[in-house]
Amino acid sequence: MEFGLSEEQEQIREEVERFAKNEIVPEAEKYDVEETFPHEIVDKAADMGLVGSSIPIEYGGAGYSTLESVLIAEELFSWDPGIALSIMACSFGTEAIREFGNEDQKERFLEPVAMGEKISGAAISEPDTGSDVSSVSTRAEKDGDEWVVNGNKMWITNGTVGDFFVVLCKTNPDAEGRYNGFSQIVVESDRDGFSSDKITGKLGIRASDTAELIFDDVRVPEENLIGTQDAAFMQQMQFFDATRTGVAAQGVGIAKGALRAALEYAQDREQFGQPISEFQAIQHKLADMATQTEAARNLTYKAAWNVDQGNDITKLASMAKEYTSRVAVDVSNEAVQIHGGSGYVNDFPVERFYRDSKITQIYEGTSEIQKNVIARELLGKGF
Amino acid sequence: MKILVTVKEVATVEDEFEIEGTEIADQYLGADLNEWDDYAIEEAVQLQEAGVADEVVTVTIGPEDCEQTIRQALAKGADRAVRVWDDALEGVDLLDVNAKTQILSAVVEEEDPDLVLTGVQAGDDSFAATGVSVAEEIGAQWGAVVNHLEHEFDDGVASVRRELEGGVEELTDIELPAVLTIQTGINEPRYASLRGIRQAQRKELDVQGLADLGVDEGEIEGDLTLTDMYEPESESDATIWEGSPEETAAELGEMLRNKGVAP
Ligand SMILES: Cc1cc2nc3c(=O)[nH]c(=O)nc-3n(C[C@H](O)[C@H](O)[C@H](O)COP(=O)(O)OP(=O)(O)OC[C@H]3O[C@@H](n4cnc5c(N)ncnc54)[C@H](O)[C@@H]3O)c2cc1C
Repeated sequence: MEFGLSEEQEQIREEVERFAKNEIVPEAEKYDVEETFPHEIVDKAADMGLVGSSIPIEYGGAGYSTLESVLIAEELFSWDPGIALSIMACSFGTEAIREFGNEDQKERFLEPVAMGEKISGAAISEPDTGSDVSSVSTRAEKDGDEWVVNGNKMWITNGTVGDFFVVLCKTNPDAEGRYNGFSQIVVESDRDGFSSDKITGKLGIRASDTAELIFDDVRVPEENLIGTQDAAFMQQMQFFDATRTGVAAQGVGIAKGALRAALEYAQDREQFGQPISEFQAIQHKLADMATQTEAARNLTYKAAWNVDQGNDITKLASMAKEYTSRVAVDVSNEAVQIHGGSGYVNDFPVERFYRDSKITQIYEGTSEIQKNVIARELLGKGF
Repeated sequence: MKILVTVKEVATVEDEFEIEGTEIADQYLGADLNEWDDYAIEEAVQLQEAGVADEVVTVTIGPEDCEQTIRQALAKGADRAVRVWDDALEGVDLLDVNAKTQILSAVVEEEDPDLVLTGVQAGDDSFAATGVSVAEEIGAQWGAVVNHLEHEFDDGVASVRRELEGGVEELTDIELPAVLTIQTGINEPRYASLRGIRQAQRKELDVQGLADLGVDEGEIEGDLTLTDMYEPESESDATIWEGSPEETAAELGEMLRNKGVAP
């Protein structure tokens, strides 16, 4: 059993840390307050290859595995989750193209994302479709050699900044079985009939762009369908292990960042004539936070390692996602507590970590859904 | 053209630390690539990208531990690296300028570069002498504290701008082969790209001992002894202005001019 990181992995982490400290930290508060997408930072991140790091080398990426992507996400999220998500999400949806796309699609869609020239997105959720993904109602109908897309997508990351979206559409309403009859179709944002509406007022990750997408008779060529028609669910399910592990990494990062900030503050802040880190009540908080973070990290690394081995880890990935997001919320909550009043305003990063942490329990399958999955696996029930 | 860049892993110190004897206690120390060397690497890599240099080699003196730091240069675009280490170096307390000069000069002889780039100084022991001393040893020309380098080398001449004291700069033409000690700010060092980090793992990192280089063990014994290390008493004299950025910036500018810091 090998628990250490390789020299290369350690080097990746260090370089990402350097980038985050220089480029992200000084700007984090501004983008959170203004709720704007950090284009400049994303461009710099693209130069460094942080965008689409898992896209294969032949398409301009770094070809990194799940574990390395986890390390990158953990480090970035430990400095600022909103900007971190803006960077990491630039390639959302491309996993389907990587795995099921043909050569032409890979060149058209993967390369520009890896180069930082285009931003992608994954459009699954709808106003009436959240946890129950099988209720997707966005419709794509074949007309000659084109698909005509109609419907609305809700909560779509990169909605107003993305250049194209991998959209989950119903292509065969007559298909039997609730998971059949869906396809993944790439819709470019410059197509006629496409519009998006930015969602503002988010609790956290406010630098990240979120929007509603509206498709009004949007026509795309039939070459934009990814993989097999009507089989999108079977295709997408293969990535759950990796994407849930990815959100788990976000949670580890948030916990790590909140702990780092709390540790520093506790040693600086003096009350009753001594640093508050001398009080056992504070020490026990710090000890719990560090232990939870480490446990969350190990669960996440184990999940990532298994994904890279090609193992099926439905249960483990859900455990990692659920536990880690809970730890992120708990640890950032305690970090605010340790800061006292200073933790309640944005002079310190913990207030932001606390608000940002919550999303990890919601997107990519809520905590309740993850527990459903874990229990279903434990009890040996199929899906 | 071939460029040799000298690089060093330096000790970094936390804001608050304690001194034990003549050393800063271990728990307050970190390690990183010397800041000046980062600029030297960037300059070399830019020359390579511009098609001026066809090979960039780095050389360091240091134990195996420093390889991770040294690979940063490979990740940023250097082609290969040489690391010099020897049991004989293990026992040396303070590797002085002369010892470094002997070792690096032997590497220069072996590699035969047209241009050697070093940092102006190392951030930890700050001798600020190695580059110039190597130039003297190998009989090459040198330019110290270079903050601009023309990327055209007409007739084998490097045109450099050097930083002098008091805000004065000079332009110098230096015949190759030459050693330039590179000042921070000459360029904007890049981050190692993820692809670069990946590729760096497969680049050659050659380890050489003193005997391989033909350096006699006797030559690395230093005449320097570190006798004490302490934090000087600091007097603080802080001026704080209140008001709008426009007003306070003007007042700051005025003071800097009066003190002769700004022209
Ligand atoms: C900032 C942000 C970014 C997002 N980015 C994207 C994106 O890029 N692409 C995309 O497609 N979507 C995205 N989403 C949508 C996200 O994935 C959904 O919000 C999430 O899946 C939950 O769906 P819902 O909001 O409809 O909640 P609902 O499904 O309505 O859930 C409401 C509550 O009911 C619970 N619940 C539902 N069903 C069950 C059940 N069977 N058992 C027990 N409890 C249940 C849930 O756990 C939750 O507590 C994003 C959301 C946000 C907020």
